[in-house]
Amino acid sequence: MAKLDLLQGTLDLLILKTLALGAQHGWGISQRIQQISDNVLRVNQGSLYPALQRLDTAGWIESEWGASENNRQAKFYKLTKKGERQLKEETAQWERMTIAVQRILDVETT
Amino acid sequence: MWKRLNALFRHGDLDRGLNAEVRFHIEMETEKNIRLGMSPEDARLKAHRSFGPMEKHKEETREARGIGWLETFVADLRYGARALFKHPGYTTLAVLTLGLGIGANTAIFSVINGVLLKPLPYEHGDRLVVLQQSAPLLGRTNTGIAIAEYFDYRERGRDVFDGVVEYHQMNFDLINRGDPDRVATGVVSASFFDVLGIKPVVGRTFAESDDLQGAEAVLILSHTYWQTKFGGDPNIVGQVFEMNDRPHRVIGVLPNVPHYPQENDVYMPVHACPFRSGAEANIARQRRVFSALNVFGRLKPGVTAEQAASAVGSICHNFSNDKQFAQAYRPATSGFQGTAIEVRDALTTGARDLLLILLGITGMILLIACANVANLTLARMLGRDRELAMRTALGAGRGRLVRQLLTESTLLAACGGVVGVVFAYGTIGMLTRFVGRFTSRTGEIEIDLIVLIFTLGVSVVTGVLFGTLPALGSRVDVVSALKQGGSQAGGSSGRKRMQGALIVAQVAVSVVLLVGAGLLLASFYRLQQVEAGYRTQGVLTAQVFGNFSKYPNNQPQLLIDVYTAMIERLQLQPGVIAAAITNAVPLAGGVPGTTRFDIEGRVTDDPERRPTTDTRIASPKYFEAIGVPVVGGRVFNDLDTRESQRVVVINKSMAKYWEGTDPVGSKISTDRGETWFTVVGVVGDVRQYGLAQETIAQLYLPLAQSPSTLAGRLLVRTQGDPLTFAGTLRAAVRALDSTMPVEGVETLDDLRSEALASPRLTATLLAVFAFLALLVTLAGIGGVIATSVQQRTKEFGLRMALGARRDSVLLMVLRQGLTLVLIGLAIGVVGALAAGRVLSSYLYQTAPRDPLIFAGVAALFILSGVIACLIPARRATTVDPLIALRAE
Repeated sequence: MAKLDLLQGTLDLLILKTLALGAQHGWGISQRIQQISDNVLRVNQGSLYPALQRLDTAGWIESEWGASENNRQAKFYKLTKKGERQLKEETAQWERMTIAVQRILDVETT
Repeated sequence: MWKRLNALFRHGDLDRGLNAEVRFHIEMETEKNIRLGMSPEDARLKAHRSFGPMEKHKEETREARGIGWLETFVADLRYGARALFKHPGYTTLAVLTLGLGIGANTAIFSVINGVLLKPLPYEHGDRLVVLQQSAPLLGRTNTGIAIAEYFDYRERGRDVFDGVVEYHQMNFDLINRGDPDRVATGVVSASFFDVLGIKPVVGRTFAESDDLQGAEAVLILSHTYWQTKFGGDPNIVGQVFEMNDRPHRVIGVLPNVPHYPQENDVYMPVHACPFRSGAEANIARQRRVFSALNVFGRLKPGVTAEQAASAVGSICHNFSNDKQFAQAYRPATSGFQGTAIEVRDALTTGARDLLLILLGITGMILLIACANVANLTLARMLGRDRELAMRTALGAGRGRLVRQLLTESTLLAACGGVVGVVFAYGTIGMLTRFVGRFTSRTGEIEIDLIVLIFTLGVSVVTGVLFGTLPALGSRVDVVSALKQGGSQAGGSSGRKRMQGALIVAQVAVSVVLLVGAGLLLASFYRLQQVEAGYRTQGVLTAQVFGNFSKYPNNQPQLLIDVYTAMIERLQLQPGVIAAAITNAVPLAGGVPGTTRFDIEGRVTDDPERRPTTDTRIASPKYFEAIGVPVVGGRVFNDLDTRESQRVVVINKSMAKYWEGTDPVGSKISTDRGETWFTVVGVVGDVRQYGLAQETIAQLYLPLAQSPSTLAGRLLVRTQGDPLTFAGTLRAAVRALDSTMPVEGVETLDDLRSEALASPRLTATLLAVFAFLALLVTLAGIGGVIATSVQQRTKEFGLRMALGARRDSVLLMVLRQGLTLVLIGLAIGVVGALAAGRVLSSYLYQTAPRDPLIFAGVAALFILSGVIACLIPARRATTVDPLIALRAE
């Protein structure tokens, strides 16, 4: 199965969801998304760091330097309270949208 | 928002953070790749490749952080400052060049702002007009206004003015605790300060009751006089000082504002002035006397200056065409007319053109400076191609690069602006004194907020101007720039063409400036060579004033006797060759008088054909003292007395009216035949009223027969340095009248030099500017040739290896430079031909298209252009072909 580029706007949601599972650094986030999606979703690095910055500026995530699993300095991001609310909202929105899209696709063609 | 601002200020940390984060990411990716079985080398490469264009991502991340443009600007600024510090030579040269250009403009603008742009510093300044009368057909641009005429305007101008006031200046002696103090006195209408809108800081201004016949004489002090002579004494009001042998009581002090039309120490109402009120008494008997008034009007709200001008014109038309006075005005042949001009404009008419010319010149200097810095920047860009290409390769956008370059150039211009303000501070005093020769409105010249805003604006425009050109040439061909070695990179033909065009423009502008300077210098030289008709060397002169109450005008003999004794006494002093007294010395200002006269036997009844002459009073030794040659007959001697036959001496220009016959022995009359004067001698012409003025007819009356008192000008021709006789001169005056003030002790050489000061300063100023322009331009040419030689080292080496001779290589480089010079020269000559016209009123016997000047400037430019090219070009010929070819 070919790897898919992320839909516009879904990266934020995925980052928030990933971080809801625990604090993580940039590389880790991209790896996790790839792993969980069974290598279907591929995160473009060029979008990842601007997105992280954007979420940080919005106050949904916050960052902190810490030691990585292999003991290197890495910047860890984690969800804020505001971020949790945002995640809920975006998740709900995403579900509404996928249901809507699904409905349209389910219409039988004669 | 706090986060954003925080980010802005801490962006250094954050940038380092971002770098570390990206590095971490790539390391992790590399390790992962190694785990997947790649070689470390491949693993790293793949990691990098998967990350994509790193700079672009960083850039986007930074932008996501917010305040993108401000952030970028600050970063650019830091980067720019760093880049400039790395090239101190380039930076210093550019900042100084720009500082000079901006500074010159700042200085000139501060003068223009103070003289032409600021509103008058009075409450009603924008509604003030000055009334002017002229007789253009007689060549008189300003006749002054007589008392009776002022009364006419005041009475009949009520439709357009809500106030009409008069002003004239006199010099009186104010006795301050026993010491006579000569004070410039403004004699004004009672409502003068109300009409202008000036409120006193202490006391009150004049009231109508102060200006009645027999009222107590009162004074108002100027702020400066109050401060310097009375230390700002708050109890000054009420103090009484003697002036003109009358007690005058101080009633108020003016605020610290510039005075127009002249600065004065004190003010008095017209009835306190012995001359003004005395002259008024004569109006009934002899109308239209004392044409020495300045008359100001305040426009009624809603009335324009044009409406006032036409109202004044028609009032003047009415009284000058009135049958009663038609003989006095002769409007048909004198063209006598009246008008009103806004005071602000009237004060500055003499300076406006000059200031605008100066602004044009400094504008051109700034253009040259811009072009030069643009060229420097272009040359520097050659060395930066690799850097720019690298940044492009790393993902920096073209707009981003242009913005970076523009930030750098604006930074440079801002530094130039700072240097410019310093430059302006240093030169503004000199400039103010210079402009003071053309307008009285120099009191408000200062470097204020408006001037600084102007400078800021000019700096920014300058930065954009010289930054845009090189930036436009920054279209970097990444591949070729990176492929080639640094020093060989770039040098696109477009950039070369731009450099060439800049040089051509610089040369053209410099040529215009040089031609202008050349014309003014030539004109000044000719003016200096003018034969003024008298010998200035070794003559001391001084002004003496008879106290009006001691020597009343109706008994001129009293003063004449004192003057006569004075010069006899001076004549006896050792070292004195000749001592004399007259009423005015040459080149000391004033306007020529126009007394009409008749020659006996040639009397004409047509009043328009009667010739006019200027009248001077001269003591017997006058002609010897001032060195005017006697052409025929004799000059005055001690036998010409009050009782003897009335005699005159005339000059050569006046003798022309005798149409070839000898005037000596014939008679003239200035009062239609009532009194006849015998012409006893003819003397040489003297340029009395300016070196550039053609000589006019003049007649001299002997001192003993002078019909009136006169402010005296002593003349002493001495052996040795005349200034050492200043003490002798003062002592001689004091011996005869200890209260008589002696002023303006100076030599005739000084006076003549003073008369040349304005053209000398104008010529010097323009010459300095033109010379600077030339230097900057030559440096530009040299720089361009130098870069071009550097770039073509390999080519020259190749040529010489193939057998080209050194001088043919030299010639090639020269041709490149001279072509630019010649094109610029051609354009500049056309420009100078067009621009020369604005200078024509400042030129004396010099045509604005003087071919000699043009040829001289062209020769100068070609010669100096060759030298400017030769210096760097010689480097081309010293190239060792082997080294040059290996230089790759």
